[in-house]
Amino acid sequence: MAAAPLVVAAEESGSSGIDLLRPEMSELIAGVIAFAIIFFFVWRWVVPTLSATLARRQEAERSRLEEAESTREEAEQLASQYREQLAGAKDEGARIVDEARQAAESVRAETIARAQQEADEIVSRARDEADAETARALAEARSTVANLSVDLAEKVVGRSLDREAQMGLVEDYLDELESSTK
Amino acid sequence: MGDVMVLAIDCDLEAEVICAPTDVNSLFEFTTPLFSIGGFHFTRTVFLIFAAMAIVLGLLYFGLRRGQLVPSKYELAIESLVGFVRDDIAKGVIGPVHGMRYFPYLLSVFFFLLVGNLFKVTPLVNFPISSRMALSGFLAILTWVIFVFVGFAKNGFKHYFFDALWPKSVPIAMRWLVGLIEIVSTFVLRPVTLAVRLFANMVAGHLMLTLLLVSGLLFVAGVGDIGLKAGIGVIWFAFGLAIWIFEFVVAVLQAYIFTLLSAVYIQTSLEPAH
Repeated sequence: MAAAPLVVAAEESGSSGIDLLRPEMSELIAGVIAFAIIFFFVWRWVVPTLSATLARRQEAERSRLEEAESTREEAEQLASQYREQLAGAKDEGARIVDEARQAAESVRAETIARAQQEADEIVSRARDEADAETARALAEARSTVANLSVDLAEKVVGRSLDREAQMGLVEDYLDELESSTK
Repeated sequence: MGDVMVLAIDCDLEAEVICAPTDVNSLFEFTTPLFSIGGFHFTRTVFLIFAAMAIVLGLLYFGLRRGQLVPSKYELAIESLVGFVRDDIAKGVIGPVHGMRYFPYLLSVFFFLLVGNLFKVTPLVNFPISSRMALSGFLAILTWVIFVFVGFAKNGFKHYFFDALWPKSVPIAMRWLVGLIEIVSTFVLRPVTLAVRLFANMVAGHLMLTLLLVSGLLFVAGVGDIGLKAGIGVIWFAFGLAIWIFEFVVAVLQAYIFTLLSAVYIQTSLEPAH
């Protein structure tokens, strides 16, 4: 059996467990060498590598934060820009509406004024025409009356009167009549 | 090599209810070297010590070499372990300023012991190298040398040694007694308890596992000779598996405790006698 040398060795050294407390020289040497190598590796490689990694992460974290900050600022700027634009648009809208209203108002006023003017013109023209018509009728009536008067007088008198002088008389009379009727 | 341990137990299955080894030492001492260089015997234990070293180097190297911004799961696990030793043990116990000076030592101890202890529950290895006094004793003495050296270097002989020996804060009648206890506990008991705590935990765990699992296997394997009595083997084996889980926890815990106490001892040397 493969256990035979072990059992023999154990019997030689006695079988109390107390032997376990005695460090084995070969194991001690191996342990010292192994631990020294681990320690050296940790000291010279693990610690610097780790701190480099952590520094890089911190740097990345910082730049990410900065980036986020700048993005936030940009967004804020954009938002305020939009707000301004919006407010501008509102003003613009109000202005346009106002302008339109003013334009409409002026068009209305203009239309009314023109209509009024036209009406006035029509009225005055009508009045002028009426006046002229009246004057013409009057003049016509006057000359007719004068002629008739003279004709009548010639017939009454039976002879031709001094037509020019008679016409003047009639005219004077009519003038007089006219002024007295006024 | 796994056979060696099984065969070390010669068991009379009909007479016994559990297979105890004829010699406890045989579970821990592999006296047949694979080869020897002068007085240096390259035994299985020596091989496992170097294997543990290689595993520690591998774990750390592959866990940290890329140092990515977003680590993989494995890298995260190693980083968390390393970060735990750095933040909770080195900086947490010794302090943020001095802690980093002792971080390499504490990290080396933690990983070496973690792997060495876990060998206890690693299939086919099944042997905690820290159950050997050579290893636990060496690390305990190393911690002792460090904290004693730090104590003297930092505080001088008078403060570190004499103030402990003759504590002014204690009534004069009791002073010599307290001083003696303090000196013995600091300079003698600390390294001994540090070494023995680790060593004894690993020895006990290894004994339990070997006893239960090997007994279980032998009884079950001997079913042809002993008939129904083989059922004992099933019980031992089930019990052994339960203990296996328990020993896994113990292995991690002992690595942590050894590292933590090393840090505590160094810290008390930096700021002694409150």
